[in-house]
Amino acid sequence: MTSKVAAPYRGPAETIEQSQPNMVSGRTEQSLLFALPKGRLAQDSLSFLAKAGLSIPTDTESRRLILPAADGSTGFVMAKPRDVPTYVEHGAADLGICGLDVVRETDRAVYEPLLLPFGHCRLSVAGPADDAAGPPEKRSGSDDLAVKPVSSSNLPGTPLRYMSQPRIATEYPRLTRQFFADRGVNAEIITLGGSVELGPILGLADLIVDVVQTGTTLRMNGLVEIRTILKSQAVLVVNRASYQLKAAEINRIIERMRLLTT
Amino acid sequence: MNGHVPFGVADYFWDEASSRQSLLDQLMETFRGWGYGDVIPPMFEFDSTLSAQYDDRLRSGMYRFLDRDGSTLSLRPEFTTSVARLVGARLHDWPMPQRFCYGGSVFRYLEPQAGRQREFWQVGGELIGAPSPTADAEILALTATALKAAGLKGFRQIVGHIRYYRSLLEALALNPQQAQQLQWALERKSEPLLDDFLRDTPLRTGQRQAVETLPQLVGGNVDGILSLAERHIQNRGMHEALQNLRRIVDALLGYDILDSLIIDLTEIRNLGYYTGVSFEAITPGLGTAVASGGRYDDLVGRFGPSQPAVGAALGVDRLLVARQRQDEADAASGRRRPQAALALPHGSPDALAQVQKLRRAGLHIQVDVNNWTVDSAIVYAAETDVRDVLVWEDGFQHHRRDDQGDYVLLGQLEEGRLSGWTAACREELPT
Repeated sequence: MTSKVAAPYRGPAETIEQSQPNMVSGRTEQSLLFALPKGRLAQDSLSFLAKAGLSIPTDTESRRLILPAADGSTGFVMAKPRDVPTYVEHGAADLGICGLDVVRETDRAVYEPLLLPFGHCRLSVAGPADDAAGPPEKRSGSDDLAVKPVSSSNLPGTPLRYMSQPRIATEYPRLTRQFFADRGVNAEIITLGGSVELGPILGLADLIVDVVQTGTTLRMNGLVEIRTILKSQAVLVVNRASYQLKAAEINRIIERMRLLTT
Repeated sequence: MNGHVPFGVADYFWDEASSRQSLLDQLMETFRGWGYGDVIPPMFEFDSTLSAQYDDRLRSGMYRFLDRDGSTLSLRPEFTTSVARLVGARLHDWPMPQRFCYGGSVFRYLEPQAGRQREFWQVGGELIGAPSPTADAEILALTATALKAAGLKGFRQIVGHIRYYRSLLEALALNPQQAQQLQWALERKSEPLLDDFLRDTPLRTGQRQAVETLPQLVGGNVDGILSLAERHIQNRGMHEALQNLRRIVDALLGYDILDSLIIDLTEIRNLGYYTGVSFEAITPGLGTAVASGGRYDDLVGRFGPSQPAVGAALGVDRLLVARQRQDEADAASGRRRPQAALALPHGSPDALAQVQKLRRAGLHIQVDVNNWTVDSAIVYAAETDVRDVLVWEDGFQHHRRDDQGDYVLLGQLEEGRLSGWTAACREELPT
């Protein structure tokens, strides 16, 4: 005597689970995965890798997330610059290239064996240039300076520690807080996702902390550089485990890059 | 009332919970097999007991709260200090060496990441009262054995010696700022930062060479690296550290783990209480260490008579992630733990007596408490992945799911038919 009861419908969850192994297989084909920053440093990074004699992806405009190198030896992910150290710390990528400013801001536990010869810029404090009041020496005795809040005294020589809780717009909250804290100033940090130059114009902030390459953007928005927090350039970052587990391949890459940096 | 849990903690259930628990049991059993006895320290202690032993990084990541009498307490961020306190304060006159193993939750206020919530599980062991390199070797070998038992392949143990670096600092007689600069360069393995340090710091030629050589003291060629380091010894401390490392490596010969060893004399990140050899285990596919440990000869003495000690701890959560990624790569995943058979006693005392007999024989059986019909029981069984349904009709009738997912009546229950299932269930248990 046999009786059959059909199994009830289980819903689509199973099929999703089953498809997972395929998703990771793209990852395991290549022995190394390189995270590169989209945007400003992308083209420089690729041409630097090419100059170092490494195989780079042929089709960078592709919408695929992981681009294979021309010879298939290495995979590349184009990531948001801020995410590069995160990918590398967690081992999602073995190596990465990004700005030193981003590495210091994100403060991830990664190795950074080499500075690379491109992407030079500086992280600076900037404030409104007071054109209307004329040159500083003319103003120095005037009455309106005395009543101005100290936080807007942005003459390059004025110590920042005179400021009383300046409001600072920035994409770099960690470095900004640290820089001002080191001078005993408890700054009010306003974290923005971009266009921080707008901060002083709209009265959102007294000062900004941002990356400066030539200073053109600052000048166009009526801002002057007051201090340099950090001199930045591109840096090679390496996952701590990959550095040991894939030592041979990674050292080969470092060697080739070193030839171009010294 | 909502159903949220605090950030950094998680519910584990079903397969995830059972594989966690069985991995913990399996690791503990490995330690027990080497003569390590269980110890269960408290979940929280006086903050002063724990905080004073750690470096800033770990100290700033501790959960603290006030006891009702106003004293500050902390949740344990690791086990070693508690075990050291126990031995130093209470077991100091028991014959040495003493071996302890433990497993359970530890708490750190950190950004959650792959394989680490703010509450995570550690399993580890401490070997107290033995100063010799053979004790260090035992902990290294035991860690490797436990990682293998957990099913991990291709892992490496990165071995450093904090005494080498501390003695080098002594020899260089750096001011705190210079020492910081050197430490930053080494922690980040940054050649430019090391160049900056060498440019900014006046050093004698021998000292300069010792610092310049540091980046080369990393790799799998154990003998070559130790020989190279020996050429740049600046004082007795550095000499003794290298000699100690050599003896540890020699003592590992019988254990067959030398292939997985990497020496890194520039690895100087640690919890703050290590005094000798220290190590981390890493594995492909996971960017962070799955185990770490080292020698801490000064810790027990802070709670009682001084005792040399060495130990290691494994991160259960990270091991699970690493193993999962490894199995995905091997395309050998998807094995699910069988669920307990479902028995419908239909109110018969005889049925329950029979169930008790089967349970004593080692079978896992859940009993219907809803007075289900066979059809509803089978719907429930299908939805919850139960393979065997036993229905009482003067003896259990055995329904079993076939390959198509349909339940087929096999007839009167024969225990032998269930035993295959039991064996599958037992495979998951520690041996």
